[in-house]
Amino acid sequence: MIFWKIFCSEFAYQTGRISTWLYLLVLLVFAIGMKLIIGTGDGVYPNNTFHITAMTVIGVLIWLVIGASVAGEAAARDVQMRMHPLIYTSPVTKLKYLGGKFFAAYAVNALIILVLPLGVMLSFYLPDMDFMSGSDILQSMEEKLLPFRPAAYLNVYFLIALPAVFVATALQFTFAVLSRQVMTSYIASFLLAVFAQIIAVSAAKLFGNWDLIKVLDPVGISGILGSEMSTWTVSEKNTRLIKLEGIFLWNRILWLCIAVGLLWHTIVRFSFTNPVTKSWWNRFKRRSKIQTESAAETGIIRITAISIPQVPQSFDFATHFRQSITIAWSSFKIIAKHPLGLTLVGIMAMVSAILGFLIITESGIPILPTTQNVLSFYTASVNSIGSPWVVITLLIMFFVGELVWYERDRGLSDIADATPAPDWVLLFGKFLGLVLIIVIWMGFLMIGGLLMQLLLGAEKLEIILYLKMLFGLQLVDYLLFALLAFVIHIVINQKPIGFLVVLLVFCFMAFPLQFGVEHSMLIYGAEPGWWYTDMRGFGPTLWPWLWFKAYWIVWAFLLTVAAKLFWTRGREKGLKHRLQRAKHRFTGTTRWMAIIGIVILFGLGSFIFYNTNVLNDYKTKSEITEWQAEYERRYGQYRNTPQPKLMATKLQVELYPEWQQAEIRAAYTLINKKTVAIDSIHIGTSSGIEFTKVNFDRPIASVLIDKEFSHHIYILKQPLKPGETLKLNFIVQYKQQGFQHRGTKPLVVKNGTYFTNYDLLPRIGYQHSREIGDAALRRKHQLAARPAIPSLYDGEARKKSFSTDQTTFEAIIGTAKDEIAVAPGALQRTWTERERSYFHYKTDGPIGGEYRILSADYAVKEIKWNGVDINIYYHPGHVLNIDRMLQSAKSSLEYFTEQFGPYPFGYLTLVEGAGNTSGASADAGIIYYGEQYALMNPDDSTSGFDLPYYIMAHEIAHQWWGIARLEPAYVEGAGTLIEGLSVYSGMQVLEEAYGDSHLQKYVDFLHSSYAIPRSLASASLLQANEPFLYYKKGGLAMHALSEYIGKEKVNGALRSLLHKHDTRELPLPTTLDLYQELKQVTPDSLNYLLKDLFMKNTYWRLKTEQISAEQTTAGNWEVTMKVEAEKFVVDATGTEEKVLMNDWLEIGIYEEGQSMKKPLYLNMHQIKSGDQIIKLTTPRKPSYGGIDPNYLMIDVRIEDNIKYLKG
Amino acid sequence: MENHKFSLSIRNVSKTYRNGVQALNNVSLEIPCGMYGLLGPNGAGKSTLMRTLATLQEPDEGEIFLGDIDVWKQKDEVRQMLGYLPQEFGLYPKARAEDLLDYFAVLKGITSRASRKEVVEALLKQTNLWEKRKQKLGGFSGGMKQRFGVAVALLGNPKLMIVDEPTAGLDPAERVRFLNLLSELGENSVVILSTHIVEDVSELCTRMAIIDKGQILQEAEPLMAVERLQGRVWRRVVEKNVLQELEREHKVISTKLLGGQTVAHIFSLENPGSEFEQVQPDLEDVYFTTMAGYSQKRVLQQKGEVRL
Repeated sequence: MIFWKIFCSEFAYQTGRISTWLYLLVLLVFAIGMKLIIGTGDGVYPNNTFHITAMTVIGVLIWLVIGASVAGEAAARDVQMRMHPLIYTSPVTKLKYLGGKFFAAYAVNALIILVLPLGVMLSFYLPDMDFMSGSDILQSMEEKLLPFRPAAYLNVYFLIALPAVFVATALQFTFAVLSRQVMTSYIASFLLAVFAQIIAVSAAKLFGNWDLIKVLDPVGISGILGSEMSTWTVSEKNTRLIKLEGIFLWNRILWLCIAVGLLWHTIVRFSFTNPVTKSWWNRFKRRSKIQTESAAETGIIRITAISIPQVPQSFDFATHFRQSITIAWSSFKIIAKHPLGLTLVGIMAMVSAILGFLIITESGIPILPTTQNVLSFYTASVNSIGSPWVVITLLIMFFVGELVWYERDRGLSDIADATPAPDWVLLFGKFLGLVLIIVIWMGFLMIGGLLMQLLLGAEKLEIILYLKMLFGLQLVDYLLFALLAFVIHIVINQKPIGFLVVLLVFCFMAFPLQFGVEHSMLIYGAEPGWWYTDMRGFGPTLWPWLWFKAYWIVWAFLLTVAAKLFWTRGREKGLKHRLQRAKHRFTGTTRWMAIIGIVILFGLGSFIFYNTNVLNDYKTKSEITEWQAEYERRYGQYRNTPQPKLMATKLQVELYPEWQQAEIRAAYTLINKKTVAIDSIHIGTSSGIEFTKVNFDRPIASVLIDKEFSHHIYILKQPLKPGETLKLNFIVQYKQQGFQHRGTKPLVVKNGTYFTNYDLLPRIGYQHSREIGDAALRRKHQLAARPAIPSLYDGEARKKSFSTDQTTFEAIIGTAKDEIAVAPGALQRTWTERERSYFHYKTDGPIGGEYRILSADYAVKEIKWNGVDINIYYHPGHVLNIDRMLQSAKSSLEYFTEQFGPYPFGYLTLVEGAGNTSGASADAGIIYYGEQYALMNPDDSTSGFDLPYYIMAHEIAHQWWGIARLEPAYVEGAGTLIEGLSVYSGMQVLEEAYGDSHLQKYVDFLHSSYAIPRSLASASLLQANEPFLYYKKGGLAMHALSEYIGKEKVNGALRSLLHKHDTRELPLPTTLDLYQELKQVTPDSLNYLLKDLFMKNTYWRLKTEQISAEQTTAGNWEVTMKVEAEKFVVDATGTEEKVLMNDWLEIGIYEEGQSMKKPLYLNMHQIKSGDQIIKLTTPRKPSYGGIDPNYLMIDVRIEDNIKYLKG
Repeated sequence: MENHKFSLSIRNVSKTYRNGVQALNNVSLEIPCGMYGLLGPNGAGKSTLMRTLATLQEPDEGEIFLGDIDVWKQKDEVRQMLGYLPQEFGLYPKARAEDLLDYFAVLKGITSRASRKEVVEALLKQTNLWEKRKQKLGGFSGGMKQRFGVAVALLGNPKLMIVDEPTAGLDPAERVRFLNLLSELGENSVVILSTHIVEDVSELCTRMAIIDKGQILQEAEPLMAVERLQGRVWRRVVEKNVLQELEREHKVISTKLLGGQTVAHIFSLENPGSEFEQVQPDLEDVYFTTMAGYSQKRVLQQKGEVRL
């Protein structure tokens, strides 16, 4: 009865609060609004269960962040309102009191959360609210709904929302009860929302087991959304529901236990005694029994003459300054003493430093801990919610609220407000205190970074760079955000609503695109972005940064003025009074400051706008799509108009890296390779790049220049007959004008020029690459549907090659005197002229259609292999891998020449391209690698894994597969030929150099990408249409085949394939040709395997159930294994079909202490579907063994293939 | 400046809260230097008036001048001379007494470290908190907290001292000491003391006002007010059951239980009868007479109104 009474009164109180309804409203708006923002993909109905589930999960997260006060109020309001003496002395038990409060809070939260499924449901049936149709909302009105399924909404509410809310309420309640403060419930929320996610994800990454996330994540953002649901196929998205089974069940049980445990703990720890002022943390540890010392006073009245000393008071500026410092120091101490104040960032910085060996990696390979690498971890932008440092932003949000409300929360505001400190002093002092805290946080990050560098053995510590990045760039961003939060709290003048508004503003800053805002001038604190690389330094990014930050600082200043005007000092909270007071305060200096601020803001804004929108072309995302659509509508008619091919390119390039400027004089030779005459030449230029002095070597009848769409049409007087050539000369002028609102790709910059011909030079013909690729967007713009890549069985498409042109290349490149320019081809000559350096490159033969031009202050190393000059151009500081790369290049050339045929060029150039990429890419005779690649520091011992060695081999393999050699048709599967074969070839070079164990590491690396949650549905390798298939599955399939039939046979097939298709003439090679060649060398008994790997999307489920061994009288060991096998085929839409199998699979048995490479027993067995017993004998005592121990098959659960014997 | 004596003048100040409660209704008062008592029941509008004087709340109408300073237009100047002890306030539980006092000393413009040390020490001693100066404020009892508030209010020798219900929670000794402190301050400053305890006013204040429902019912010097009641207050000891009858027939201003019997005071211009005896009025009688509406001022003002 008492329980019920407490429950009812608490429930009534909470439902009577505005904030409760406000939370409800926010969630409702979210649930309904997301329908407008999120579009559905092909074949997915709007009211699909995926959407319902995802919105509920995200909604719960939002509730978690904003709604903690419900539990907090229920738990701690009585104490905070000092009502507790009345209750504590009443005859109510702890259990009933806390129980009533807790269940009331839970009921209120359950009610709030109920609007998520309700709102989502409403969003489907409300009349169309397509008011945002101007932007890229992929929504078409004809889309039909699936039938109404109440079960879907009930499922997400009862299985996902309610348990999560129970756990969260329990934790919030516990925190608030034990700390006796309402606001600590937000700390509980914070821990659940951020920390639990971070821990779950890092645990999963650390142990490589993605199921851990699903178990550990209480909310479901990474557990349900990130892992489970990301594997859903189209049909699953429509109808699948999360079921209370398997890992999800364990998750719910685990967290339910934690929640109940916490509540029990709370009840035990709680006592009906007067709160004692002690560190709240202590209260979690043990129950304090100390009572307040009652001050015994003497009753004697000593009537003494009053003798308060007369001390001077002053109210001048110096005093105000002194007062600001005092308030700042006191605010600083408030935060510093808070349990989260300094500890959290400090601990995170230090733990990161210790875990540096896991953090400073690329693809799992350690990289050198350069200052730039370490700092790129420690500096995350304020609004990046993916980084662990988002905690700094969240802490700022939390502490700003605490500081602004500090006096009022503690009832001291009347006294403080009546003191003679001016308004600005009180505000500025608090802000200054926060600034101090943030500076210390930055200091922690710096110490963390330095420590990380020291622990990882960095060679030099660039303190100046730390100062610049942390105390220059990052600090300004954090301060701008802090100031905004300050102003919001002051103007809103309602603590919970203030928090909510700050959070919404943060959401806007984090996802401006979702709100349809793109220009950096409209996103508070935004700027085009900055970067730092060892080669380029900050490049040209600091100037725009400065302009933008100046602009935002002035904004912040004006906001501060607004805060000063609207600040509530004293008791007057009414809007009318505040407006009146603002008017009253808006006089004298304030007015002048505001006017000056606005004038400066206008000036800065105009300057930035001039740069971003006048000097540079500004287009929103939807304008760009519209532009693409319009281009296709206008010029799509020329899609199949015969066009000549580029045959020779001659360039005279003048680079001015200091000025971000270049001039390119080009001479193109075009040839008509068609069977019909060509009467017009279409040229697509790079937008915004000047393309002048166009000159053909034959008369032109007319010209159409469409500047808006960068499309030029030249009608020839006399058509170009088949086989005839045509010369085209032109000049391209490039100069980076000012800056743009978003970071632009740096093309010509000091010590880091790196651009492709597509960036600056025109291309012949209608530009397919400008077409919109996304199917839904095409529908929206009323463009005909087209496949992302033409079908393998499209005969016409098979006549078009992957690369449009095959051109020879010759260039004379002039650059700054201290730089070296690099381009494809052999270096013919270098000279210096007018204080500039010149380089002349020329290729031996055609190089495909793409090439890059680089220039930097490179160091050069040259070696020779079999008459091929191998040159490596590298940043002088990046020397770690030079020999490794050269060695890999040499071995690769040797191996590939022997296996697949000769290397076609007399030179091979390796060059470091400026920019923080960890990969490499190849053009004909030249390999470009990124700066991060140069910093990779792999373990190249036998037990290690030399990934960079493999990467270089892979790129060199492209000299055989793709580019200028095996030139596939531009249809499905082309990627398999180019990348799949290069992966396979690279793996062999790795094996040659390091043996089996490095190769196996690479196979594991390929398998690991299957472990990352992904949908099983995909195309077959023959019709592959995505990088995952080209690289990962392509590599696994080729490797498996080579293990089954021998790599000599596979290599022979590849050699034969290349031999037949080396001419770049029709018919162009496709995966069908590869399949044909492989079939030739595969015995009939393994034909099924070839089909499974290449023609279908087949998965195996292989598992060793039991393994045991007994010694025979002869001294042998008889091993008995029970294995389970299954095979199933998944089609592109995700439909699974189990198929009967009778496949050859490896069975391996291993000794203790011996590596997998020395098996006791390894043989192929024919394995059928289902369970089966295998008996075999080994000469010595086995330790472990299993089915497919080398992971040759595509099995998404490889960890159960091998089992250890008992004992 | 030092010997310049201020007076506070409140002119036609009205204040209505958003919930419709009229907290102040056309209040006008002239408050000279010295102790001024503001007497009234709970909810009479005392605190609203006090907060308004302390620059924390804005009146809807009317103006307030401290000397020639317009309180609402020159808040900063007022605050430089202001000492304010609110009726209810909290303290930072984790701060130490001397630190927080020092903090407020800075806010009150005492920038010299030495002066601050001196004044903090003196005030803590005056308020008998010197022994507790290192203690966290969270452990302070109600009386200690109140004394700490007094110490804060006294910082910087305020010319205008506003103390809202200061004696609540003080033990008798503390109360006396505090009132003594205030009256000394009143020699050079305007000290306004709001209270519902009649003795606070009668013992110390040179002038007083009685306020109820936002209106000033009477403004007077306590002695004069008592003088005016001379011969008009009568006393009778009655049984409980005749009380109602008595109230019907006479203007009862107060009833008290005394040893099981009820002592009633009535207001009467002439002798109400033999069963009554005349009493020497005190300030309490003034207060109750005023509150009961029998004082001349109230009678004159509210003629014709129906009394509830």
